[in-house]
Amino acid sequence: MSVTVRARGLRKTYRDGQLQVEVLKGVDLELLSGELVAIVGPSGSGKTTLLHLLGALDRPDQGTVEIGGVDLRTLGGAQLARFRNRTLGFVFQFHQLLPDFTALENVMIPGRIAGHSAREVLDRARALLAEVGLEQRAEHFPSQLSGGEQQRVAICRALALEPPLLLADEPTGNLDPATGRRALDLLIELQERRGMTGLLATHNPEVANRCAKVWRLEDGLLLP
Amino acid sequence: MRLWFWNLPVPLLLALRYARSSRREASVRFLSAVTAGGIALGVGALILAVAALSGFQTTLLREVLSRSPRLQVELAPGLDREVVRRIVTSQASVRSAQILLAGSGWIAHDGRIQACELLGVESEVPAWFPGSAGQPVDGIVVPDILALRFGLERGDTVRVISPRPTLTPFTRQIPRTRSLPVASIFGAGRSEEFDARVAIPLEVAEALLWGTDLRVDVDLPIDRVPAVAQKLRAVLPAGAEVVTYRELNRALFFALRLEKVLMFVGVFLIVAVASQALVSSLALLIASKRGELGILGTMGLTPAELRRTFILLGGLLAGAGIAIGGTVGCVAAWVLDRYRLIALPEAVYIVDFVPFRLRLGPDLLPILLATVVLTLLAARTAGSGASRLSPAQAMRR
Repeated sequence: MSVTVRARGLRKTYRDGQLQVEVLKGVDLELLSGELVAIVGPSGSGKTTLLHLLGALDRPDQGTVEIGGVDLRTLGGAQLARFRNRTLGFVFQFHQLLPDFTALENVMIPGRIAGHSAREVLDRARALLAEVGLEQRAEHFPSQLSGGEQQRVAICRALALEPPLLLADEPTGNLDPATGRRALDLLIELQERRGMTGLLATHNPEVANRCAKVWRLEDGLLLP
Repeated sequence: MRLWFWNLPVPLLLALRYARSSRREASVRFLSAVTAGGIALGVGALILAVAALSGFQTTLLREVLSRSPRLQVELAPGLDREVVRRIVTSQASVRSAQILLAGSGWIAHDGRIQACELLGVESEVPAWFPGSAGQPVDGIVVPDILALRFGLERGDTVRVISPRPTLTPFTRQIPRTRSLPVASIFGAGRSEEFDARVAIPLEVAEALLWGTDLRVDVDLPIDRVPAVAQKLRAVLPAGAEVVTYRELNRALFFALRLEKVLMFVGVFLIVAVASQALVSSLALLIASKRGELGILGTMGLTPAELRRTFILLGGLLAGAGIAIGGTVGCVAAWVLDRYRLIALPEAVYIVDFVPFRLRLGPDLLPILLATVVLTLLAARTAGSGASRLSPAQAMRR
């Protein structure tokens, strides 16, 4: 299952006292259903901000975001949270896992938030961890896992509810090259197998080249 | 994997896990211990203070009831006392109704004289008279202090003098007096009220005092007093005033109530301060878990669920404090009362130890309810801060 993502005229400015930083200056994009696209750009170019706006984690100062025909402006706080739960899967560079929960429990949480039964989410989480080769590490806490294992658990968690849209922010940025490559292979394989729409922010050209399309974010504008 | 745990609502599940994990972080653990300890101290102190005041109230009520009628009907001059008595005794729960006449006078013996309250009673000493209730009044019943002062013994003759003189044709005013034998001597105990109160036969009192302050004392179960008083007020003729023991001792009961309320407010400040510590403790936990809260937001946890998580976490912390404080307070109150550990000078107070009494409804429930409400409000304050954090803000490094 996948969705189309459309953004029109996205603008976002951060204010800190007198200081104003205009990060996005009118971004337009259309991500077609089932596509995997990379957004590249130097650090501070606004990749994470754009991903946050597309992922309904933040609101733009101007512009619209439409995911699967739903205009995010029409959703309130709780509706937006439910929308994220059903529609979006996130993989981040930092804060991947909740340290107080085991790998298995981390993968179970989105399902419980969605209101599925404990038995259902447990079976699903076990199957996902087995799919990424972590069935033996299911009961380990994040502090007991390597960086690569943590990222694999984070990918499982992002896919736990089979969301139609996957957003990844520097998913390999915190890993050594070999581990990063394996994590990326896994992410792309799972995305393709499920036919999900995917958007991946990275400053690594090698990672970007694995995607079907590459968009460049420069000076607050998106260049094809 | 404990499936029952994972079937709990997500906010409760998170709160329970955070309560466990907060023990691992030294600063959060310290603040949590201070918070729970503060709440425990406040609740324990509050229970002991309220139990002590309730103990005194109960003792004083017993004392008051043993020394004053539970209900009395004061009769205006000219009102038919027997009609009033018939109406009173016809009420359900009324055990007896006795006619009394109260007034001031003196008693004299062997060259000594003392002002007294004269109480004319029908046939026997009323139930609320200390020591000699139910004894026949075939003379004068005097308190032990007076007997000691006058050197009186049973059978001695005492002169009772009225303030109302008899006018004679010779324009001389002759004091009205009666000589009565001492029928019995009662122990006035520590009551100043009974130091100078004597009981005499009603017909003697009527002859000495005429018709002043005639009343009907009613004996009935304590719990029926308000209902019977209300009924009597409706059915008795004009000029008959119904007064309950509470109204007779209005100032005392008001003072006790006021003291209890002020003590409650004063000691409750400990709980209020502990609640502030609860806000700090939760705020510290929220700050240390800021990134994780952002991740939970990306997974679809709503702001309301996030707020509920911290309200529940605060509730767990406060619950631990309430449970500890409540148990310690209740056990301490019971031990202090059972073994009379806090002694009082017998000559000064009406009891020789501090009594503790704890009732579930009027005492314990208000303490627990007030603490729960205040701590939940404090937790809600902290939780609202967490719920206002957007996932993007929370994850920003």
